[in-house]
Amino acid sequence: MQQIEFDTKWTMVVDIDKCSGCGSCMVSCQAENNIAPMEDGSNKLKTLTWMLVYELNNGKEFPERESAYLPRPCMQCGNPACVPVCPVVATTKDEEGGIVSQIYPRCIGCRYCMAACPYHARYFGWFDPIWPEGMEKALSPKTSTRPRGVVEKCNFCHTRLMDARARARAEGMDPNKLPDGWYKPACLESCPTGAISFGDSKNPEHKVHDLIKDKNAFRILESIGMDPQVYYISRRDWVREQSDNHLPKDKH
Amino acid sequence: MGIDRRTFIQLVTGGVVGSLFTPVIWKSLDDAAIWSQNWSWIPRLKYGQITEQATISKFGPSPCSLMVKSVAGSPYVAKGNADNEMSKGGVDAISAGGAQLLYSPSRVKGPMKKVADGKYESISWDDAEKMLSKKLSAVKGQAGKLAIVSGDATGTSTEVLSAFAAGMGSNDCYLMPGDEQAAAVALENMGGSGQIGYDLENSDFVLLIGADAMNSWGSVVRNQRVYADNRPTGGDIESVYVYAGPFLNSTAAISDKWIPVAPGTGAIFSLGLAYHMLNAGASASVADFADFKTLVMSRFTPDKVEKAIGVAPGVMAGLAKQLMSASAPLVISGSEFGQGAGAVDIIAASALNMLLGRVGEKGGMKLLAELPLAVDSAVSRAELSSRDFAGYLAAVATDKVKAPEVMMAYEANPVYAMPQATTMAAAIAKVPFLVSFSTWMDETASTADLIMPNPHSFERFDDAQTPYGVGTAMLSACAPVIEPLYNGKSTVDVILGVASGLGIDLGYESVEAVLQAKAEKAGADWDSLVEGAAYVSDSTESGSLKFAASVLSKAVIMPKGGEIALAPYAKLNVGSSTMAIPPLNCVTVSKFELQGKDLFVQINGKTAKKLNASEGSKVKLAGAGGECVARVHINEGVMNDVIAAPLGFGHTAWDEFSRGKGDNISKILTVGTEPGTGMAVWTSSFVSVA
Repeated sequence: MQQIEFDTKWTMVVDIDKCSGCGSCMVSCQAENNIAPMEDGSNKLKTLTWMLVYELNNGKEFPERESAYLPRPCMQCGNPACVPVCPVVATTKDEEGGIVSQIYPRCIGCRYCMAACPYHARYFGWFDPIWPEGMEKALSPKTSTRPRGVVEKCNFCHTRLMDARARARAEGMDPNKLPDGWYKPACLESCPTGAISFGDSKNPEHKVHDLIKDKNAFRILESIGMDPQVYYISRRDWVREQSDNHLPKDKH
Repeated sequence: MGIDRRTFIQLVTGGVVGSLFTPVIWKSLDDAAIWSQNWSWIPRLKYGQITEQATISKFGPSPCSLMVKSVAGSPYVAKGNADNEMSKGGVDAISAGGAQLLYSPSRVKGPMKKVADGKYESISWDDAEKMLSKKLSAVKGQAGKLAIVSGDATGTSTEVLSAFAAGMGSNDCYLMPGDEQAAAVALENMGGSGQIGYDLENSDFVLLIGADAMNSWGSVVRNQRVYADNRPTGGDIESVYVYAGPFLNSTAAISDKWIPVAPGTGAIFSLGLAYHMLNAGASASVADFADFKTLVMSRFTPDKVEKAIGVAPGVMAGLAKQLMSASAPLVISGSEFGQGAGAVDIIAASALNMLLGRVGEKGGMKLLAELPLAVDSAVSRAELSSRDFAGYLAAVATDKVKAPEVMMAYEANPVYAMPQATTMAAAIAKVPFLVSFSTWMDETASTADLIMPNPHSFERFDDAQTPYGVGTAMLSACAPVIEPLYNGKSTVDVILGVASGLGIDLGYESVEAVLQAKAEKAGADWDSLVEGAAYVSDSTESGSLKFAASVLSKAVIMPKGGEIALAPYAKLNVGSSTMAIPPLNCVTVSKFELQGKDLFVQINGKTAKKLNASEGSKVKLAGAGGECVARVHINEGVMNDVIAAPLGFGHTAWDEFSRGKGDNISKILTVGTEPGTGMAVWTSSFVSVA
């Protein structure tokens, strides 16, 4: 599949050194995207976590141990593995900005995309989404609810992009040249340690334009060529080393 | 006409080709996919005008100022309020799901009284208030007959409760345990007044001793925001963080350095640093400096400190040097889990700030002035903070103090959240009439004789003043975002009404009037507070502190060693002392902490070998007052001979999202008495492992 190059590239940069693993991003993601609460949250094979915080460590014994937290949304890959395998075109990467879509009513639940995604960013609804009585009144009007049996994933809170574009149009601005900070996913908005930055990495006026060029910036599994639109930053060598299956002599 | 082979093939081919060109099949498949997803139980979204309103949530360990987004008047998402200085635009992991908590299955939907078989019966507010008034009138004017405990350390509501207790002739109005208690007792012993605060924003070197600033110490969300601002992504680090504690918690994980120090030995660590500073010529013009110096130089020499807490002299000397060479260093001490620390931990850390010349300085330790009381007869915050609820309950448990006739719990869940929980719950069970003002059917409400539900944070007027740990005095307030969903009533309104009936004049007729008066007396503008701004005061207390060397001398005891120490920790996503795991937070719990119903505690490989435990093996932990069952997770981020264990699990009430999951580590905390101050402490809890 030929990779489409967009003029706008919505990009997330996560500063791993600042993430305290508090879970605010995961909770606000669920609230914004109408993910029903799950009684047994410890069954990680069955839970829906569009945004998931992983715990990393340097593998050393006490007292040399260090740890870090890595929030993982959908990487919105430039060359996504999930898109070409979908038999019903329920997931596409064809909109300006480069967000990989997920069209729930079209999904037949075959989970081929989940198998293809190297980042485990896609989730299958194993159970009926059930909100405790009355909690459906707190549903966000921004994201459609999904039944069980379809695949779902992070879309960088796409309706927030729609809202930002509508605002730009209303103010007589180019909806494809949004000012920095107009479009913010829910996880960024709730992150208390400011670990998440977001913007158009092709726009020099956006902070992420420079952040992705930081000497400590990297992407996960960069070597497999997915060209993800999520970058990470860490000053710690061991964190950067774990980002890919490097050979010992590789430089990071 | 017969059908030969040729005609048959033509018909089949024609049919296949024809079907490819007709849209009927594809349209049917598409519709079938949509219809199959169109099941009746999938809720439909509600559309309408989207609005934003400021509020305060008190679900987490400290108040958080929020902006709540509503659709057609119904809240659905909460985000931080960037215009408010109290939490600086951050939001904690419980408050982020605050809108969904409006519909928590655990909400108490109206006043209830306990009936004979332990079940509850709904009653009217009139009847509930009459019942409460009758019980209270029987004990009015008699000391020791009424006890009140509040889990809200910052609200003016607690002032009203303390004034009511005073009007009733009771001295037993308490706060639930928190770091502010140790700080208040420490300040009293150091001869200071006001409230200890820390100017984190302007410090360039922050040493956190025990204090888990990202999870449980001080104004957590604000700490996180300050940390974020001082360490811009892609920019230079403006403030170095060092964490000293027994467990590589998230504060340690994002600090520049973690120094392993045994649980509950923060004071020894501080005094060990003081040794190096004094050796390097540090001094302070304070009355008892000579006594302090003698104490430190004789009892906290590098070898003795290393023997007691396992930190090498070189590490201590290096850290002392770093502190002395920083331009705005700040030392903060507290409990690793936000409660149970001794006053000496704070006194010893304050001594370091004094040796560094950082008291009252920009980026240093501050003595904040209290905001004026709204209710004249209320107890001052300093006095209320220094009162010892754990000590009181421990005395009731052992019959050293007679159980009160009536106990009222406001925004507090002492049956679950007190240390040595089983002993404390038994003490509460001795109270003939327990009243819970909880929003939730928590463990305390589930044993109460009368439940008078306070509305959810988003449904009520409330305020928050100067949370412990912040560097300036401040006040925030909020008005309801949504009309009460159920039949709750503001606890302050209940108390004002009952007080009036008992002839106690608290000076106000409604909660709104009390909060407005508080704002007015503080010099704040009520309208702008309700719109989301915080009032900030630069007012501080004058006067110098002393080292309280005599208290340090009595209270700091070197550990015996050789035992397995418990290092409890609290995490923001799991809940707080007043909140069990919220529905949306279940998936955020780590698989290293909970799997199914099994709680996991963490030990390193060396300790595991010593205890003959391995990954996933089941252990029984026993403390002075109870036992807990857990599985083992091997984590090299825990120091030797220490068991790190998460708080917040093992609920017996609440709902399916938290009930019966894991075990309550508070049960195996051991409450002791701090020599020199007499306050109850429980950061040094040891356990036996079987």
